[in-house]
Amino acid sequence: MGGMRRIAAVAANTFRETVRERVLYNLVLFAILMTLSGLLLNPLSLRQDEKIVKDIGLASMELFGTMIAVFIGVGLVSKEIERRSLHLLLAKPLSRDEFLLGKFAGLGLTLSANVAAMTAGLYATLWMIGRHSGPGLLAAVYGILLGLMLAVSIALLFSTLTSSALAAVCTVCVVIGGRFADVIRNMREVAPGAPGWLTTGLYYALPNFHTFDLKDRVVHGDPVGFHQLGWITLYGACYMGVVLLAALASFRRRDFQ
Amino acid sequence: MWRKVLFLALVAAVPILLRKVDQNLGEFRAQEEALYLTSGQQVRRFFPGFEGLMADVYWIRSIQYFGGRRVFAAGKRFDLLEPLINITTELDPKFEIAYRYGAVFLSEPFPMGSGRPEAGVALLERGVRELPRSWYLQQNLGFFIYFFLKDPPRAAKALLEARKQPGSPIWLENMAATFLGEGGERAIARQIWRQMHDTLEDGIFKKNALNNIQRLDALDAVDDLNRVVQALTSRTGRHPRSLEELRAAGLLRATPVDPAGVPLHYDPALGVVEISRDSPLWRQPLPTARRYESF
Repeated sequence: MGGMRRIAAVAANTFRETVRERVLYNLVLFAILMTLSGLLLNPLSLRQDEKIVKDIGLASMELFGTMIAVFIGVGLVSKEIERRSLHLLLAKPLSRDEFLLGKFAGLGLTLSANVAAMTAGLYATLWMIGRHSGPGLLAAVYGILLGLMLAVSIALLFSTLTSSALAAVCTVCVVIGGRFADVIRNMREVAPGAPGWLTTGLYYALPNFHTFDLKDRVVHGDPVGFHQLGWITLYGACYMGVVLLAALASFRRRDFQ
Repeated sequence: MWRKVLFLALVAAVPILLRKVDQNLGEFRAQEEALYLTSGQQVRRFFPGFEGLMADVYWIRSIQYFGGRRVFAAGKRFDLLEPLINITTELDPKFEIAYRYGAVFLSEPFPMGSGRPEAGVALLERGVRELPRSWYLQQNLGFFIYFFLKDPPRAAKALLEARKQPGSPIWLENMAATFLGEGGERAIARQIWRQMHDTLEDGIFKKNALNNIQRLDALDAVDDLNRVVQALTSRTGRHPRSLEELRAAGLLRATPVDPAGVPLHYDPALGVVEISRDSPLWRQPLPTARRYESF
């Protein structure tokens, strides 16, 4: 119980700290402006304004959310090390596991707040063009949020292993690799020489971000069932669990002297 | 001080120089279009997870390309139109509007479109495969096969398929029956365009439907005039030298104009009246044996 309270305290502190980041406001503002730009494309799109506003809004949410997740995520631990505040924190009755999980939860909270702001911006833009989109859009937003949380966990893992610059590069590589999961799976069709165990192994090892992508289905009004959301939630939670456990193990072993 | 003066001088020079450039190269100088990624698959590889957004980008590009070529380009070639529309629909196979309007862009005879009805029908067929529940897309397919490929049995089959879809209107069956019965083609064409005109929202496609209705009226007028010319030719043994001669003979009350207000063109050598090339109702005949002109 006390552990949970300490994690919540670190999370609250991380949330306060990250929402003060100027880059965060720039990215969220830019994402909302991108969504609003859909209004300008209205006359060019032959009455496809609703689809275009939704596509731009959801894509901006995902793109800028990933940037926030990666670039703030990799700095969460390294900043504490550079400022030497980590030593002070760990000297208190706070385990390394609690510290890292608190950081993860804190940035997750920040991302949730940002995604909520961007979603509100998207609904407002749709309202401005006279389209009243129902709650169906939220299924895609949920998928995006799950993908962002997974990106944060990967960023945290790399930040416990290496410097923040290298961690950012590694995280971006894994996130991009995860988006090409289907290409990797079908690689043997274009490169028959590629060993099957390698392509299959990579397909399962990399985080499949394509799984969380419900944007096109939602934009076209295709229903997304609760059981489908349940499966992607389980996949995301399971993968995040693996990554966070690896991050905890790495962080426990790390020497800060 | 000199830096400020230089700054102000350069600021003042920019619009003057731009005006000079515009004067030399033309204010609306067209930039040659290029397509670096030639398939939806390639675009998909560059933007994984953002296929929907990229489909929008390529769709807007298709519209801009089509409109730009139609209005500004001297040669009015539409070489990139089909690949642009194909990329759009490959990126988002459920982009219904891209099939519908893309087929119009491709099928309409030159210079209103790229004059490639086979490509337009193929696009609609792909759309029907991707969106089998869309009766509107299947109805469009039927109309396009009838209008542009002049294949009434195949068109009727497409309309009957459309009728099977939920929400489809009952008149699709009537239309299919009419196609199969195949009476006066222009009357059916007018009926279809009228139907489309009445159901479409205001915009370029409603205007296009109206343009086609007016074109059919113009073709009726051309036929009437050609009959008069033939009558005079058989009476005098030669083609009339001008339409004025018809007026002088009391066969015509005024200079004939089409519904767009452009005088009809008369070729004294052949003794044939036709829609003027200067008219927005003029179309280049399709290069196929079955000609759109017969509408």
